[in-house]
Amino acid sequence: MIQGYWCPKGSAKRFIATFEMDNLNQYTVTLEGKIAYRGDISKIQASARLGSVERKIVLEDGSLFTTMENDEVDKFFASQQKINNIVHYLETHYRVIVVAVVITIVSSFSFFKWGVPWASQVIAHSLPYETNKLIAAGSMKFLDKAIFQESNISKEQQEKISKHFYTKIAPLGASDAKEVVYKLHFRSWTMGNKSIPNALALPSGDIILTDKLIQLAKNQDEIDSVLLHEMGHIVHRHGLEMMIEGTFVTIAVMMIAGDTSGMGDFGIGLGTALVSSSYSRAHELEADLYAFDKMLMSNIDPASFSHIMARMTHYMKDNRSHNIKEKDFLNYFASHPSTKKRIEMANRYSECFKQGLQVCK
Amino acid sequence: MEALYFTGKGSEYFKIWIVNILLIIITFGIYYPWAKVRNRRYFYANSNLGDRNFEYHATGKQLVLGFLIGVFFLVIYSFATQIAPQFAWIIILLFMLILPWIIWRSLMFNMKVTSFSNVHFAFKGNLKTSYMIFLGYPLLASLPIVVLGILVMVMIPSKEGIIEAMGETPLMIGGILLGLLFIAGYIYFMALISKKSKEYKIGNSFYGQGIFSTSLEVKKFLSIYVKAFGLVLVSLGVIGVVMLGLGGGFVTVFVVIYIAFLVVILFVKAYVTSRERAYVYKNTFLDNKISLESTLSARALAWVMFTNLLMIIFTLGLATPWAKVRIARLMLKNTLVDTSVRFNEYITQQKNSVNAIGDQVGDAFDVDADVGF
Repeated sequence: MIQGYWCPKGSAKRFIATFEMDNLNQYTVTLEGKIAYRGDISKIQASARLGSVERKIVLEDGSLFTTMENDEVDKFFASQQKINNIVHYLETHYRVIVVAVVITIVSSFSFFKWGVPWASQVIAHSLPYETNKLIAAGSMKFLDKAIFQESNISKEQQEKISKHFYTKIAPLGASDAKEVVYKLHFRSWTMGNKSIPNALALPSGDIILTDKLIQLAKNQDEIDSVLLHEMGHIVHRHGLEMMIEGTFVTIAVMMIAGDTSGMGDFGIGLGTALVSSSYSRAHELEADLYAFDKMLMSNIDPASFSHIMARMTHYMKDNRSHNIKEKDFLNYFASHPSTKKRIEMANRYSECFKQGLQVCK
Repeated sequence: MEALYFTGKGSEYFKIWIVNILLIIITFGIYYPWAKVRNRRYFYANSNLGDRNFEYHATGKQLVLGFLIGVFFLVIYSFATQIAPQFAWIIILLFMLILPWIIWRSLMFNMKVTSFSNVHFAFKGNLKTSYMIFLGYPLLASLPIVVLGILVMVMIPSKEGIIEAMGETPLMIGGILLGLLFIAGYIYFMALISKKSKEYKIGNSFYGQGIFSTSLEVKKFLSIYVKAFGLVLVSLGVIGVVMLGLGGGFVTVFVVIYIAFLVVILFVKAYVTSRERAYVYKNTFLDNKISLESTLSARALAWVMFTNLLMIIFTLGLATPWAKVRIARLMLKNTLVDTSVRFNEYITQQKNSVNAIGDQVGDAFDVDADVGF
């Protein structure tokens, strides 16, 4: 016998009542000592079990029997609520809970660490090549307007670098992505009074070299190593990958945060930034490896890359204020993996180069 | 006056929450609507007044279509803004155009699927008012930004000319005045929108045949927001002075400012929430006889929010269920209802089934409909 209340259909009125079931699956609801309802249990429905929350049994005329005696209700309605009973079983067995916690932690970590980059790579490479052009449309114009000025490098030098690039370097990538048409641009980029050494690649195949980078380069090999690195970004479709990764992260964050009633908002910004910066470091690493492989194949010492990297870092450091002590912290946020690591890798490839190897493990 | 109370437990809710997440992972997200129903129902059904409680009646099936549409648009939106951030405003504009409709449908749906003591709530506001409040006023409020934007755009190319004509100091003073005017206008519109939207949501709500009513003044909201703004300014000033005194490297500065901002924002949020709540509840009645009261203090709310945040951060999110239970407990404990009038006379007004497609779409974006206390 279950103790509870009976309420008329849709009404806030309530009366003390009891609910019972006999062996023939006939239920009775008793009100003030009199049987008020009798019928087949399959014709009425109970709300789903959820923790120790009050249960509501809707009777045939829409009136309601409510009770806190969950276990009793479960006995009577077991056959009606198979799926919900499975969920309730999961929720009440601590072994399941431990497993759920472990699965949740492991899979959220794997999702962001490997799942998103992997899926993004697959999607980016199964989209038609034209997508790359689409996402880069207007970017060059925007960059010219927002950050670049015209190059001060002499026309002769520009032509010399371009000619070398189009005849010697660009063809190295032809086997990896036939559709790509590389185009080299020269621009000047200043922030404050400092000229910034940098190279950028747009998904459309446009590669931009800044004046300062050319000035810092001591020889053609160094410029080539940077160009090959940028080609690596284009061949691996990193622009597109980053957008897809961004989409994944946004959706995942929305699904997680949508449920925390604004409480987690604060941490989410920081979390998203950390995750995206880790993806972008993976891209830099991949582009480095691409450049090193091509350099071994075309007889350029990979050490050139470490030389120009070291010089760029040194130049940027000189320009920064001197009271910065937290290098490691900044490196974490910088999109490029810590320069030291990259230089070490370049040197490892350089060893291979000196031994005359074409492939380096 | 009698306070509501929450009977849910963090440990019990944790199990429900983690199984929800497990099932969402296993089903690649499809389970989400059912998980949401279980979450909501846990909080509604554990909210009590006397020996009566609330109930959430929506089913996962009702929410699933809306959920899929929501995810679809989210994918489109986030991908489109990544491809062409310079055109993101088109998508935002489109979203602004449909948002009043979404809010309107969400209110109708969420109220309809909520009951207290077997009597369902209802929302009967009209769509036009929703557009007025959630599109009309915000557009009006953004007018100053547009004007300011155009002004700046016009002035930048002829910067030197203007400086020459006016002198640098008057120009700066003019700029500051314009900025202040702009902030004042913005705060006013926020207060106006807040008043209108609360009147819209409450004034068109029903409990059975009972009618909710409220009459609010812009003035009160204005005073809350101005104080909140002052609080932000003062705190920023204090943080600035302290930082100047301390000095330190980039990381120290960054971390201190991040945490300080967080605490300030948290407290201001708690302040605004508690004051608005107290004011709105005091002026809200059911059938002009059942009154409400909120005794929530800014300090209590800020404390729970802050400790919740720490709990969530240090457990990497695993303490979220306890955090949610703590907030619910605090909110309900500070919600008082005049119970000298009995609820027995109330009856659900049956008119509409809960199955139209619009209802399902309405809940897609999970717009907070302020149903619960």
